[in-house]
Amino acid sequence: MHSIYKRTTAALAMSVALVVPAYAELTGELRIFLDTSNPAPRATMEAMIDRFAEQHPGLEIETTVIDREAYKTQIRNFLTADTPDVATWYAANRMKPYVEAGLFEDVSDLWAEPEIAENLASTKGAMTIDGKQWGVPYTYYQWGVYYRKDIFDELGLSEPTTWEEELANCQKIVDSGRACYTIGTKFLWTAGGWFDYLNMRTNGFDFHQQLANGEVSWEDDRVKQTFANWKQLIDMGAFIDNHQTYSWQEALPFMVNGEAAAYLMGNFAVAPLREAGLSDDQLDFYQFVAINPDVELAEDAPTDTFHIPSNASNKEAAREFLRFVVSADEQTEINNGSNLGQLPVNAKSSVDNDKFLNQGFEMLSSNSPGGVAQFWDRDAPAEMAKVSMEGFQEFMVKPDNADKILAKLERARQRIYDN
Amino acid sequence: MFPKPIEKQSRAAQISYQAMLPLALLLWLGPLLAVALFSVKPAADFTNANYWGLPSSFEGAFNYGQVFFNSDMPRYLLNSFLITIPTVIGAVALSCMTGFALGIYKFKSNLWIFFMFVAGNFVPFQILMVPVRDLTLQLGLYNTKTGLVLFHIAFQTGFCTLFMRNFIRALPFELIEAARVEGISEWRIFWYVVLPLMKPAIAALSVLIFTFIWNDYFWAVVLTQGAESQPVTAGITSFNAQFRAAYQLMSAGSIVAALPPVAMFFLMQKHFIAGLTLGAVK
Repeated sequence: MHSIYKRTTAALAMSVALVVPAYAELTGELRIFLDTSNPAPRATMEAMIDRFAEQHPGLEIETTVIDREAYKTQIRNFLTADTPDVATWYAANRMKPYVEAGLFEDVSDLWAEPEIAENLASTKGAMTIDGKQWGVPYTYYQWGVYYRKDIFDELGLSEPTTWEEELANCQKIVDSGRACYTIGTKFLWTAGGWFDYLNMRTNGFDFHQQLANGEVSWEDDRVKQTFANWKQLIDMGAFIDNHQTYSWQEALPFMVNGEAAAYLMGNFAVAPLREAGLSDDQLDFYQFVAINPDVELAEDAPTDTFHIPSNASNKEAAREFLRFVVSADEQTEINNGSNLGQLPVNAKSSVDNDKFLNQGFEMLSSNSPGGVAQFWDRDAPAEMAKVSMEGFQEFMVKPDNADKILAKLERARQRIYDN
Repeated sequence: MFPKPIEKQSRAAQISYQAMLPLALLLWLGPLLAVALFSVKPAADFTNANYWGLPSSFEGAFNYGQVFFNSDMPRYLLNSFLITIPTVIGAVALSCMTGFALGIYKFKSNLWIFFMFVAGNFVPFQILMVPVRDLTLQLGLYNTKTGLVLFHIAFQTGFCTLFMRNFIRALPFELIEAARVEGISEWRIFWYVVLPLMKPAIAALSVLIFTFIWNDYFWAVVLTQGAESQPVTAGITSFNAQFRAAYQLMSAGSIVAALPPVAMFFLMQKHFIAGLTLGAVK
């Protein structure tokens, strides 16, 4: 099935190449820095760059792949000295320091082109700072509740859509001797996911972003309401015990063994769950329930991006490369199951025939009117994200300390956003 | 100083010793055994919480194949050798000379200079992190193997000098006096008289420094980044994927990374133990 598909695209690409012999002739050197250092994504990106090179034989392309973690520190160096023409990074607040330092090129002109303006609307907000766009996305993935359908069937439960249904479901699961949710908060960010959803559902996307930007007090009643909702779940025993000692991977066995019924997680959780032996009949997905009916649903969908550094030397070729990356065909190809296995950013792309990718694509393109958030540690500044996620973890262990924790976060807010 | 040999203990003590020893050994080796076991397990065993049980399928060939042919591990291993061997040569060569100077010549500040070398050992190396990083950056040696080698040589020379100086002090001084009477130049005394006598110390120190440097993680992370310069200890973390840590590959990588020092230990066991005690009792 897959090989046929691949052959047709290859044939298609070849016939296109034969009929249309390249666009404007690009020459010179194009230096691309990638952080996709793991074998599979690396091969995907290198294959994509090869296809781009075929279209532009006059271009000398040099690709450098840097270890993903090392990249995060090296980017500060290479954006200022010995700068590449194209570099990978992340959307929203994570790109803000470089945008504000003038190190990323304004690519609003690309976003004004109809091809991109019409097809990439869902991620435009994440790429926009000060009304301008500073790069293009190349992949993203959904978050949501992955659950054991067989356990739900056994208890006679159906996918909840409201907070009341959610609590009722959870009570039944707890009564059956299981936890509703597995979670491992050792590295904090998993608790950030819960906060994202609870706060966006309680107070809406705009309030959530204001909080991330330090514009609202942590002791605001609306934040307290979010924590009160969270406490309802914690108090009824919805989460597994001792979650602060597990990494997100170490929390997976609880779901595989049936000790927990669901996991609020990104789509990357599907692969290990399938490997562990859960079939697609046992595993299913639903969108996080609505809590406050007055706010629009908004989702977490972390987006990976390409940027042109301001100091790049071959910006014309770099722009052409960005156009190429977001084109519908390339998006279909690089995000399919045998490559990145994530969601294409181009609305005209087709999603791989995968149950979870299809549900995620559907959810993000039609049922997320409130907006798309990037995840707490990308939306909030790094320092605030760290302090607050420590607070979330503490809260999940000692929910009665909520007021003390919020007071601490408020002090942190005043210190961090001041300078 | 030494504990009473077990054969001379009472029968009851002997039996409990024999019973406890395998148990203690198993406990001691537990984490290592787990790593070895994990290196032949499929990824799914981790998600199934099969941490200590038998592998659900034997994936040893696949995991080690991945490590050798589908990752940067060979590159990291090569880096480790390119960092460790020059460091051993550099530190041992320098300390032979400093040890000779401090051990043979009687000059005024001899003891103070010796103390300075020794004092370096008492500096917790973590507090050097920021200055050393800045220094290598300014010298243009940041993220190079040379930078790492130079720092290791500088830092290890302190300990090596202590070791060598004490060893040379223990040599019969008459040998040197005899050579001087013959009118042999100091340089030749070092080369033809002292150095051959130092062979056991050189062997012991080389083995010791080799394992020290090979196992260094801290400086590898502070002073280098990326596959072109990092040694294998730091390279193992590259099996942390964007979303998932590939524990089975990390385990296989750790086993591979641990092989050279382990092999070194078993091949040079005699020297290694000598190395641990040589400097201690003068």
